[in-house]
Amino acid sequence: MINLLRSEWIKLRTVTMNWVLAIIAVAFPLMVTLLTAYFSGDAAGFNTRDLTSVLTGTIVVAALLCGVIAAASITSEFGFGTIRPTFAATPKRVQVIIAKGVVVVVATTLLATIVVLIGWLAGSNIASSRGATIDLADVPTAVPAMAGAVVLTAFMSLAGYGFGLITRSTPVAVSILIVWPLIAEGLVGALLSVVTGNDKIGLWMPFQAGIRLVLIESIGDGGPSRIVAGGYFGAVALGLVALGSWAVNRRDA
Amino acid sequence: MISVGNLTKRFGPKLAVDHLGFEVRPGVVTGFLGPNGSGKSTTMRCMLGLDRPEAGVTLFDGTPYHDLKRPLHEVGALLDAGYVHPGRSARNHLRWLAASNGIARTRIDEVLEMVGLTSVAGSRLRSYSLGMRQRLGLAGVLLGDPHTIILDEPANGLDPEGIRWIRDVLTHLARQGRTVLVSSHQLSEMALMGEDLVVIGQGRLIEQSTVISFVDRYADHWVRVQSPTAETLVGPLTSAGAEVTKVAADTLDIRGLDCVAVGEMAAQKQMVLHELSSQTGSLEDAFLKATAGAQEYTSTGLAAQ
Repeated sequence: MINLLRSEWIKLRTVTMNWVLAIIAVAFPLMVTLLTAYFSGDAAGFNTRDLTSVLTGTIVVAALLCGVIAAASITSEFGFGTIRPTFAATPKRVQVIIAKGVVVVVATTLLATIVVLIGWLAGSNIASSRGATIDLADVPTAVPAMAGAVVLTAFMSLAGYGFGLITRSTPVAVSILIVWPLIAEGLVGALLSVVTGNDKIGLWMPFQAGIRLVLIESIGDGGPSRIVAGGYFGAVALGLVALGSWAVNRRDA
Repeated sequence: MISVGNLTKRFGPKLAVDHLGFEVRPGVVTGFLGPNGSGKSTTMRCMLGLDRPEAGVTLFDGTPYHDLKRPLHEVGALLDAGYVHPGRSARNHLRWLAASNGIARTRIDEVLEMVGLTSVAGSRLRSYSLGMRQRLGLAGVLLGDPHTIILDEPANGLDPEGIRWIRDVLTHLARQGRTVLVSSHQLSEMALMGEDLVVIGQGRLIEQSTVISFVDRYADHWVRVQSPTAETLVGPLTSAGAEVTKVAADTLDIRGLDCVAVGEMAAQKQMVLHELSSQTGSLEDAFLKATAGAQEYTSTGLAAQ
C-alpha cells in the first residue's frame, strides 16, 4: 500500500491543474479574510465572530475546489486512459481506489488546515493591529466552526471523488459537484418539504447538512447538530465512494 | 509462457471474443494477427484483467494476472501509447508507474536511456509525437524487467529506423528467453521478427502455428521459369495439367507442378533456362487468404475504380 500511496502522490502533484486549483483554494479564502481583517479591523463592532464568519464562509469555496481536485484525480485517469496502465500495474482495483482516495483527501485536508491556521492567525493579528478585539473565548462556536471547515473540505473531497468514480467524466462530475449543492439541493429540499409537509427536511439534504459544520451561530433551527450533520454528510460522501468503487471494480477499465 | 483458455467477451449483442484459446511460448516473438475488429485488442485487455471477460482464464507462467504480486516485474504490457497524461513529463510518467510496483528510481533513467528519450525526459508528453510515445510505452514495459511482454501495435507511428529498432529490441528480448506477444498490422515486419503466429478472426482462433507453416499452408506456391524459348514449354505444361501464366515474353509462372517436373520437362525440350525457381506468396497473402471469411469490415472496391 505504501508503494501505491507514493505512486498516487506522484500522480497528484505532477499535474499542473491540481496546483492551480490548490493555489486558488488557498489564496481565495486567505485573501478575502486578510483583506477583510485589514479594511474592517478598525470598524466599530468588528469582532471575533465576524472574522471567523469570513474565514469559514470563504473556505466553503475552497472545499468545493478541493472536491473538484478530487473528482479530477480519478476522472482524468479515465479521460486520458491512464487508468489502464494503473490497473495493469495494480490489478486489485480497490487498492488503487483506496490509495488514490487517501492521498487526495489527506492532501486537500492539509490545504484546508493550512488555510484555517494562517487565516485565523494572520487575520486576528491584522484585525487586532487595526484596533479590533479578537478573542476566541468570546465565541465558543468559533473553534468548532473552523475545525468543521477542515472536516467539510475532507468530506467535499470525498464526495467529489465519489462522483468522479461513478461518472468517470470530469465535466459531468464537476457539474454535479457544483450544481447539486448550489442549486439542486435547494429545489429538491423545497419540493420534499411541500410533498411531505415537513419544512425541516431540506436541512437533511447532504450538502446542506455538511454546511452546518461551519456554522458559527448556534444551530437552533430544529435541524441536526453539527456533529450529527457532519457525520451524516460524511456517510453520504463515503457511500458515494463505495458505490463508485463497486462500479469501477465491476466495469471494464 | 502465456496460456489463454476459453476467453469470451461480449459487448452488448456483439461477441467480441468467442471461446478463444491459444498458448504463447517463451524464447520467440509470437505475432498476434487478425483483421480490424477481430478482437485482438479486446483479447489483450481481457488477458490483463482490464476488460472483464464473460468466461475464460489467462495464465502467465501458471498464474492469473490478478494474482501477480508485482505485475510489472512479471508482465510488461503496452496496449496504447496514448495512455499518458499530456501534462506530465516522461520521467514523471515512469516515476508513478515505477513507484506502484516498488521499482527503484535509478531504473527509470536506465529505461529512458534504452529507448533514447533521456534528452527529452523532462518535456511534457503533449509535445511528444506518436513515435516518441511508443518509445515511452516501451520504456514502461521494460521498467520491471519482465519475463513476459505484450505489445499492441508497437510500430504504429514509428519511422523506418524506429520500426527496425523495435524489431531488433523484440527479437533480442525473445532471444533472452522471454515470452513476447505482439499484435501488428505490419505483416512484413511480423514476417521478419515473428516465429510463431496466433491468427484470429471475428473473435475466434483461425490458426496457431509457426510463421513458416502458416505461409506454407495458406500462401500460393508456384514455379517460375525464365527462358528465351519459354513459349515452347506452354503446350507440354498445359498437357501435364499445369496452370500456366505468362508473366513476360520470356517468363512463365506455373502452378500445379513442382520444380523437378518443370525442370525435367525443360531438359527434354533441350531448353536454355535463365531461371527455374520455387516461389511462395508472402505472409500478407497467407493472412488475407486465411482471414478471407472473417473480415469484419470490407471495402467496396474503391481501389479498382
